[in-house]
Amino acid sequence: MSVSLTVSDLKMAYGDFQALKGVSFHIEPGQFVTLLGPSGCGKTTLLRCIAGFLEPQSGEIRFGDKRMNDVPPHKRNTAMCFQSYALFPHKTIYENIRFGLRMHKVPAAEHDALIQKAMDMVGLTGLGGRKPYALSGGQQQRVALARCVVVRPDLLLFDEPLSNLDAKLREKVRVEIRELQKELGVTAIYVTHDQAEALAISDVIIAMNHGVIEQIASPRTIYDKSANRFVADFIGTANLLHCKYAGRDACNLTLDTDIGGFTVTDDGYDRLDDISVSWRPEDMTPLPEGGEIPQGCNVISGMVRNSVYMGDRLDIFMHSGDHVFRASVARDYDIPEGSPIRFAVPYGKTRIVQG
Amino acid sequence: MKKKKRFEWGYLLLLPGLGYIGFFVVMSAGIMIAQSFGMYNAITGETAFTLEGWQGVFSKSFVDALGFTLRTSVLSALISIAVTYPLALLLQKSKARKWLLPLIKIPYFVPGLVGSFLIVNLIDYHGLLNEVLMLLHIISEPLRLRNDANGIAVIAIHVWKNVPFMMIIMFSAIEGIRQDVKDCARNLGANSLQVLWHITIPLTVSSALVSVILTFIRTFNDYAISSTAGPMHPMSLANLMKTTAYSYNDWITAGCIGVLMTIVTVIFMVLYTVLGKYLQNGGGK
Repeated sequence: MSVSLTVSDLKMAYGDFQALKGVSFHIEPGQFVTLLGPSGCGKTTLLRCIAGFLEPQSGEIRFGDKRMNDVPPHKRNTAMCFQSYALFPHKTIYENIRFGLRMHKVPAAEHDALIQKAMDMVGLTGLGGRKPYALSGGQQQRVALARCVVVRPDLLLFDEPLSNLDAKLREKVRVEIRELQKELGVTAIYVTHDQAEALAISDVIIAMNHGVIEQIASPRTIYDKSANRFVADFIGTANLLHCKYAGRDACNLTLDTDIGGFTVTDDGYDRLDDISVSWRPEDMTPLPEGGEIPQGCNVISGMVRNSVYMGDRLDIFMHSGDHVFRASVARDYDIPEGSPIRFAVPYGKTRIVQG
Repeated sequence: MKKKKRFEWGYLLLLPGLGYIGFFVVMSAGIMIAQSFGMYNAITGETAFTLEGWQGVFSKSFVDALGFTLRTSVLSALISIAVTYPLALLLQKSKARKWLLPLIKIPYFVPGLVGSFLIVNLIDYHGLLNEVLMLLHIISEPLRLRNDANGIAVIAIHVWKNVPFMMIIMFSAIEGIRQDVKDCARNLGANSLQVLWHITIPLTVSSALVSVILTFIRTFNDYAISSTAGPMHPMSLANLMKTTAYSYNDWITAGCIGVLMTIVTVIFMVLYTVLGKYLQNGGGK
């Protein structure tokens, strides 16, 4: 059974440090939601409050209609995949997975079938007799996952579960986690500081910073329409430039910056004080020398500072005024350092963000 | 052609360590064994092979001393762990552990003889304990707790002295269990008692065994405490050995007792080493 989760005005402090400053959000049953933010932003604290390991100072946590604040962790029917896997070192893989069933008083006659099914699900068939230390990191993570899903939790919690795996394996396991969650239809909350992971895996991303939620949106929205400077900068890579509102016509807004004017498609922006203009490196198209400026594009001119070959693309760092901007272009593009360069950025790919 | 094996000069670096072991351990053990056969008497210089010592060593006083020493050592080790284990669990959760832990460790650094006097003052015929029990009319006449045949005073002092020693081992073992492992158990439906039973105890039981063995070895070979607070009959083995050598001038029998004490110690040292290796190989974890 999957449940909805409602968190209302949650506050939590460690001594003088306020880790959560009144966090509120709602998650629908069966959604895969990622708490994303830099170290110390409060995402793990929030997850541990939901699991019941930490008692919030104030605020409310509800699973469905049930208030959970006073429910101890062992009665919340959540299952958490820990960053360190937290496998029981003295138990075999089979016993590790069986632990939750025993604690939930599932009849012993059903254990074998349920454990087998969970092990098959995560590709651990035949490894039940081994101890955790005899498994690789990826296998240990799968055991942790099997141990969670076997108890059919209301809420599946992940605390940076892939951070100890190498990049290739991380990609593989995150796909498996997502497929498993979809198959079970269970509500999942996933903590990570890896924005690529968050974008790839989530239905909804909750971007956090300094104990507050900066934006709640789908991966596409949070990337394309970042709410503020922090989100634009943290999710992916963004070029950011402080600007001032200069005017507005039927479709566009014009902005003044210290490297010249910018035009941005009007997306119904209402707050226009303390703003920056933002655009993504991959939305910058190099213009041939003396070539015409395409319609509906801003032009950014400068000098190539250096370029970095990334395998699938070339990242060019350019000086423009006192600023350095980053552009991602086709990997076969070649330009020497110090050369003058111009880029076109469509109005529709240029955004206004707060801050 | 077979290549001649080159002498490895680097082995000479082992000499200081091996020399120490050779001189102080192997040689002194060898002398003791030789002494038990009448081969070496450091005082008189007499040397004559005899089995007299071994024929007479298993006398009633020896068997009584062995029984007394084994009983007091086993009970001391068991009572110590029974006190230490729950105390370590409580301390681990206590906010006051920063200052409680150093306090608990104090007896470990107090010499055994001084410790004996401290505890004897409490449990003696007119010690604090008896006086309080009399005052409260719980007993009508003082209990004989010191120099008693059951070795109550000896056990009490050993427990007082060994709880801090065990605490060092057990507290580290309990602290060594990762919090996320315990959190995970709670998250999977285990209450506090179940976490203790299924996680904490299995992960620390081997450390408890190690500390019991080490404590047993320490108490089995003790002289200071049993000579101040123990009975005259039966004596502890160490006491018997000393009396046999110095009071009866029977160095051959004393040598035999020493050899037997060493054998028991070695057996438990082997047990300790095997257990240690098992732990190192992840047996317990």
